[in-house]
Amino acid sequence: MAVLSLKNVCFSYGKTPVLQDVSYDFEKGKMYCIVGKSGAGKTTLLSILSGLAEASSGSIMYNDKDIKKIDKYKFRSKYIGVIFQSYNLLTKFTALENVVLSMEIAGVKKIKKAEKALELLESVGLDEDEANRRVLKLSGGQQQRVAIARALSYDAEIILADEPTGNLDADTQREIMEIFRSLAESGKCVILVSHSAEVASMCDECYELKRIIQKNIKRK
Amino acid sequence: MYIIKNAIKCIGRAKGRNILIGIIALVIAVSACIGLCIRQAAESARESTLETLSVTATISFDRQSMMSQMGGRGEKPSENGGGGFDKDSFKEMMGQSGSLSLEEYQTYAKADSVSDFYYTLSASLNGSENFEPVSTDSSDTDSTSGGNSAPSMPGGFGGGMGGGRGQMMGAQSDFSIVGFSGDNAMTAFSSDGTASITDGAVFDEGTENYDCIITEELATFNEIAVGDAIEFTNPNNEDEAYTFTVVGIYTDTAANQDAFSFMGATSTDSANKIYTSYAALKKIVDASEASAVTKTDEDTDREYTTELSSNISATYVFENTDDYYQFEEDVRDLGLDEKYSVSSADLKAFENSMLPLETLSTMAGYFLLVILIIGAIILVVLNILTVRERKYEIGVLTAMGMKKAKVALQFLTEIFVVTLAAVIVGAVIGGVCASPVANALLENQVTSQSSQMQQIDKNFGRDQNFGGGKGGFSGGEMTPPDDLEIPEGMLGGAAEYITEINSAMNITVVLQLLGIAVLLTLVAGLVSMLFVMRYDPLKILSNRD
Ligand SMILES: Nc1ncnc2c1ncn2[C@@H]1O[C@H](COP(=O)(O)OP(=O)(O)OP(=O)(O)O)[C@@H](O)[C@H]1O
Ligand SMILES: [Mg+2]
Repeated sequence: MAVLSLKNVCFSYGKTPVLQDVSYDFEKGKMYCIVGKSGAGKTTLLSILSGLAEASSGSIMYNDKDIKKIDKYKFRSKYIGVIFQSYNLLTKFTALENVVLSMEIAGVKKIKKAEKALELLESVGLDEDEANRRVLKLSGGQQQRVAIARALSYDAEIILADEPTGNLDADTQREIMEIFRSLAESGKCVILVSHSAEVASMCDECYELKRIIQKNIKRK
Repeated sequence: MYIIKNAIKCIGRAKGRNILIGIIALVIAVSACIGLCIRQAAESARESTLETLSVTATISFDRQSMMSQMGGRGEKPSENGGGGFDKDSFKEMMGQSGSLSLEEYQTYAKADSVSDFYYTLSASLNGSENFEPVSTDSSDTDSTSGGNSAPSMPGGFGGGMGGGRGQMMGAQSDFSIVGFSGDNAMTAFSSDGTASITDGAVFDEGTENYDCIITEELATFNEIAVGDAIEFTNPNNEDEAYTFTVVGIYTDTAANQDAFSFMGATSTDSANKIYTSYAALKKIVDASEASAVTKTDEDTDREYTTELSSNISATYVFENTDDYYQFEEDVRDLGLDEKYSVSSADLKAFENSMLPLETLSTMAGYFLLVILIIGAIILVVLNILTVRERKYEIGVLTAMGMKKAKVALQFLTEIFVVTLAAVIVGAVIGGVCASPVANALLENQVTSQSSQMQQIDKNFGRDQNFGGGKGGFSGGEMTPPDDLEIPEGMLGGAAEYITEINSAMNITVVLQLLGIAVLLTLVAGLVSMLFVMRYDPLKILSNRD
């Protein structure tokens, strides 16, 4: 059963159409990859999926419930973990604080949040020193990994990741992909956006977004 | 909970901005604190003084209406060619203006508002060969006839108005003799009074015996001891003599400071003041009236009577100011003519003493208002700038699923914590500065108030011991016993101002300051909240400039 499904979703920035009649289904325990040329609307699609943007028409169902009827803050903070293309971290906070804060916003009932956060940061390859550094003093790749750790911190059912490995070397990319893979195997739904053929090849299913005018085709 | 933690973290990580906001809040807090302290000081000065103030009042001929009538006539070209002052009409008015009779005074004393009532009769008598007045250096030896002791009529008018029967005015007399209706009338001898008996005892209350008490100075001067007899004569008729027995000798510390004593204005010398009972003096006055003859003054051709000039003055005591104001209405119901007015010298003196402080308090109020308005505007602008600067942060937080209201609450907490810290520091600084600043301002105010009063006195042609105009005692010389200082002799008629307040920093001021902090935070915070609510995370995050 699809945990998240798009039905005839259209979206446009003002008069510029970006998405047209997009109908995708995402199931639990699977890893998806959304591919497409730069400017095809992948980030826009993720914004719609995470409830940041609203589709001009069509519907997004979360567990067969229209997400318009779900509190979007709750949806964003609990049910869905987003790794933004531009990370969107709090620059004045340390890596650890960023992760702990997202747990707090999600209302995670764990007492030792900092410990769990530190574990997560270590699993994405950041040591304690780096975890306690302000985000601005981390490299792009390190920031990206903080964003990943943050998305994983509150055990969301769905993980959305916009170019999660775009700034990472091949080895780290492989490690991160391992994490996503194990998340999918533990029953989560992982949706990635990537230009990398290697990433796409590691996913269970791929959707290609075409730039508008051309009809989107579903590819198995 | 995490909102507060977050807020505190954010304050620490934007030190520059928060120090800036803090400094502005501090300036507002210090100014507001001083303003509030001044207002509080004025308030508590009024309250604490009113609490202890026992209000006394007298009924007198309305001097003001009389003066305005006189002034009115003065402007017209005078019929008898004189200057601006019409003597005949003045005389006429003096005739009408006789003081009320004792019976009338007693009628008004029946008003419920009156808690105590007493009266005195005063007369001027001459001494005899073996009993002479203490001579005084002061050249101010005239204007003593009548020996008026009514506090509301000091100065030149007092003497003339007392008799009211066209007696010879300006007759020189040696002694001022005062007859008291009872012990309660002898206010100088009360527990907080200035006079005390040094030898013998006060005459019996209400006695008709010719018993009296005299000052220590007079006793020494005439070598009189308790039990000795002294003889007086009528200044208008040397053959009329009365013999009194000295039953006690007293000192009056207030009398030594002539400047503070309203008695000093009408009496030759307070040392020559002799006290007896009303009944005794009344007997003399009645006897004098019975034996009076009418004579014609050779120089002026005016008729006058040899009757002993005397003057009755009644004092009503009230428990509080409300009763006093009630009494003002009561007397009209009891039929007091409009020509007479009720006045309270001590209430007037109190109001006068409060004048500079109240003016200061009013100014402090306006100052406070201006500070708050300007402060609020600055804080609002600063907060708008802050929120714009933190747009990205807002976008991230809301994208992470933090409710906008919570983000706004976090920002509000930040402002509040900074403002609160500034207010606490400001309260300490303000509390320390309030007294010196307030006192410096007050001194300034007192000085300008006094010169204003002096100017008014000059315009009215009165001399210094009339009404106000004596203020401006430097505050430093008087050590305040409590939280305010009312110089001695405040009730003496001359306006003497409260010239010093102590720090009025109290829980009320702290609460008011806190209120201001909350108010400013809310005003500044609400604006930032509006901004937060308006932001759309996607837009903020997608265009990062
Ligand atoms: N805020 C915006 N207002 C107007 N047009 C926008 C806005 N954001 C994106 N677009 C346009 O929408 C289209 C899709 O943008 P989007 O960011 O979704 O592309 P993308 O597929 O994620 O590209 P990339 O692979 O480079 O990240 C682009 O043509 C872009 O110019
Ligand atoms: Mg993109």
